[in-house]
Amino acid sequence: MIKKLLAWLGALLFAIFSIYPMLYVLGVSLRGDNAFQSQTLEIITSTSTVKNFISLFTQTDFLMWMRNSLLVATVTTFLGVAFASTSAYALSRFQFRGRNMMLFSLLATQMFPPTMLILPFYIILSKLHLIDSFFGLFLIYSSTALPFCVWQMKAYYDTIPKELEEAAVLDGCSRWLTFYKIILPVSAPALVITALFSFMASWSEYVIAAVVLQDPQMYTLPLGLRSFQASLATQWGLYAAGALIVSIPVLVLFISISRYLVSGLTIGSVKG
Amino acid sequence: MTFLRLWILWVLTLTTNIAHAEKMRIQIWHQMIYGHRQVLAEAIQNFEKENPDITIQATYRETEELRSSYQAAAMGGSGPELVYGPSDQIGPFATMGIIQPLDGIFDKEHFAKFDPLATPLYQDKHYMLGALVGNHLMLIYNKKLIATPPKTTDELIAIGKKFTVDLDGDGKIDRFGLVFNYTEPFFIAPFIPAFGDAIMKNNAQPNLDTEGVRGAFQFILDLRDKYKIIPKECDYETANALFKQGKAAMLINGDWSWGDYKEAKMDFGIARIPMVSQTGRWPSPLVGTTGYSLNVNVKDPARLAATLKVLNYLTSEKTQLLFTERVAVLPSLLSLRENPAVKNNPLLQVSSDIMTVGTPMPVVPEIRAVWDSLRIQYQKILAGSLTPDLAAKGAQVMAEAQIKNMNEIVQPDASLWIIKIIVLLGTIWLLWASRSGVMGFIKGFWGPQRFVYFMMLPAFVGIFAVIIYPFFYNIAISLSNFSLRTFQDWSLVGIHHYVEALTEPKFYSLFLKTLIWTISNVFFHVTIGVFLAVVINQVLPVKTFWRTLFIIPWAVPQYITALTWRGMFNQEYGPINLFLQRFLHLSPVQWLSQPFTAFVACIVTNVWLGFPFMMIVALGGLQSIPQSLYEAAYLDKANAWQRFRHITLPLLMPVMVPAILLGCIWTFNNLNIIWLVSNGGEPGDQTHILVSYVYKAAFNLYRYGYAAAVSMLIFLILIAWSLGSLRTQFKKEQKS
Repeated sequence: MIKKLLAWLGALLFAIFSIYPMLYVLGVSLRGDNAFQSQTLEIITSTSTVKNFISLFTQTDFLMWMRNSLLVATVTTFLGVAFASTSAYALSRFQFRGRNMMLFSLLATQMFPPTMLILPFYIILSKLHLIDSFFGLFLIYSSTALPFCVWQMKAYYDTIPKELEEAAVLDGCSRWLTFYKIILPVSAPALVITALFSFMASWSEYVIAAVVLQDPQMYTLPLGLRSFQASLATQWGLYAAGALIVSIPVLVLFISISRYLVSGLTIGSVKG
Repeated sequence: MTFLRLWILWVLTLTTNIAHAEKMRIQIWHQMIYGHRQVLAEAIQNFEKENPDITIQATYRETEELRSSYQAAAMGGSGPELVYGPSDQIGPFATMGIIQPLDGIFDKEHFAKFDPLATPLYQDKHYMLGALVGNHLMLIYNKKLIATPPKTTDELIAIGKKFTVDLDGDGKIDRFGLVFNYTEPFFIAPFIPAFGDAIMKNNAQPNLDTEGVRGAFQFILDLRDKYKIIPKECDYETANALFKQGKAAMLINGDWSWGDYKEAKMDFGIARIPMVSQTGRWPSPLVGTTGYSLNVNVKDPARLAATLKVLNYLTSEKTQLLFTERVAVLPSLLSLRENPAVKNNPLLQVSSDIMTVGTPMPVVPEIRAVWDSLRIQYQKILAGSLTPDLAAKGAQVMAEAQIKNMNEIVQPDASLWIIKIIVLLGTIWLLWASRSGVMGFIKGFWGPQRFVYFMMLPAFVGIFAVIIYPFFYNIAISLSNFSLRTFQDWSLVGIHHYVEALTEPKFYSLFLKTLIWTISNVFFHVTIGVFLAVVINQVLPVKTFWRTLFIIPWAVPQYITALTWRGMFNQEYGPINLFLQRFLHLSPVQWLSQPFTAFVACIVTNVWLGFPFMMIVALGGLQSIPQSLYEAAYLDKANAWQRFRHITLPLLMPVMVPAILLGCIWTFNNLNIIWLVSNGGEPGDQTHILVSYVYKAAFNLYRYGYAAAVSMLIFLILIAWSLGSLRTQFKKEQKS
């Protein structure tokens, strides 16, 4: 009984830990002009107003940033799922030369400090005339999200019994059809996770977007939000309201797929 | 035939029409604050009305980011035509060769129309046309509280003491005599010459081991600890907010902030920063300009002409007047100084008087090293780990070393030839060794394995196209002398930077810190994650609800997380300290100004961010543990701990190990959190881990070659470590 109580207590403590920062942002966004600095612990006070939310939508280009972000994230997600599901399948089911090398190189891409990629990325993109173009972003986002996605898709395929395909092949299915009709449907949870990761990678990415996008008409949400944050005069109220709204789509996404999350996220064995 | 001819004609007319109708697009990158941006937008609109063939695109970037992205852009051969920023950017930009001198474009008479401060010289050339003059610090006081501002520091302290009060008697100070962003050396710079000498001598040499620096350091310490008229911790935002809320009687800030206080409908006055009583000298704020520089890549005559048209318009009387009227800046054109908008503005008049005791802002790139070493040493004094005397000595040594590093042009050494030979031999060997592999690979496209190839290729082509080039590019610059002085024409020099990095004790201490960072983060991620997973799985009802609740930190974008937690750790206003004071009756902790607590703050933030991932992985692992095992254990009367120790843990491990491996790699390389929570390594560069150190070396100190070498070392460390852990894992699995 005491143990149960302790477990409850621990869970409640961490619940507060995980939710409080977002409540704090909510509190800041509901305060007036000088939102950030106020010595109160209450989230909603008598002076709370939704002014910041209203001006976010009426006085800034928030909706445009939102549209750009949605476009970028959708395309990236689509590319990520298409490429990760196919190549992970090949890695999982077929033995070929250099397969272990390839698996390890996926892991190795995660080891390079991302900061040092900025300058070379810029050089490639400007040579390809992809500065100020969403194509540059699609290319970089889907490629940087891919290693993890391929890795985790492969781990999921590994858990699917081979007999499933063997039966299909005996029935005369081609290999592509087997993959498409048999394997993909049963891999839905892992596909959802891949989609989620690709989406997250592009939705909240800032550093590369700042290099690639220079036209304010093309700004994505993180870039737009940062423009509230001038060197010496941040508009905290607007920033907090924006931050909250940026987090909501991801949260909704997480909640709607949470049933796949547990069954789909397999990082798998490392021995390849 | 006629049809074809007509068609061609049609296409031709169409294309010429398009070419004719296509407008010239001129880009400007700037760092104007919000109020100024709106005036700029209006000026641009006016310009576009007058010049329908040109469109202007103004892009806002934060000051530091403007620098680094402009460097990358200009280096890549493009970038905006005009870059707008403070005058101290021309030193580095001109040295890198990414902005062009304006002397061939404008004649002497044109420059003479401007205040000399607005046309700073660097190496006897003009690189900037200032749009305004000022950017200087001054004393701003709340007229409701203070009628006449203090003239001397003795008066300042007396008035300050009078207004530093605890209004409601709760032992906490509710109003301060003076507030300012005193952790930033720029804000104490005016005091330095008032106590002794200037911070630079002979134009480009640091002069920090002086009475001036010691005196200024001690003065701020006294204000904080002896007279207690400034808050214990105070950054720009805090100072600004305190002043605006009437919780501070006086403030030291620059002319750019006036608009903010006007908008808040404050009754404020400005004055010189009080004369230092001990020496009888006035503090001397740095006076500079903010203006436009011309990108070196603008060469096409038509484009240059259009750009100059824009530049002339934006520095014209009309535009400057617009800015003066709207946001009260001092125009740079001398002809406007007698204009009623300037003459009748009391703020501008007092401000001109303040400028007479000012010092022109140094524009040489070396100033950056001076600020950086002052900041590092000074923040150590504030944290109590150095005396002003030692700090001044240390700052001088450090600035000299940084300048030496910055200006160094490394010459090729023997190792370059060895490397070239090794690379050559290696390539030949690789080609020879892989000839059958490559042939087999190519043949495979027609073989039975074709399916595998087509499945594999898209993803790997994408990954390698994006990763391979940057990777080799980095290897190349890590072996080169790429830095401030060789920005446009770097060459390979050998392993110099690797030797330099590996012989510095700093590298090892940073490595140790990175290890502590990684281990403590991953430890908490995993323990919290597994704990919550087990509790959700075995104890709590409504599993989905709890699961969703604990996922929240994962769903929030990282940069938002970082800035939110930075706010929560604020000494004065952060909910963490408010909680400690109100409910636990502890004294507030200066989280972000002590190296240890600042590092702890970064870890707490990252723990918050990372535990949900591990929790989800663990939940997945728990699902696959058969219930029957627990039932058997129950029959054997095993207690909860034994069940966890002998069933859950061993069966969970295979699922957790790869997640831990990835977690370690991600945490090791996590720049965002450290950089944003500690504001770039504050206090005093003591919260850096390896990646944030690399970032700083490359983008703040222009040491690209060195930064690339360190990042290659990071990469090698991680490769070695993960190969090692994979091997032990493999052995374990074989044994069992």
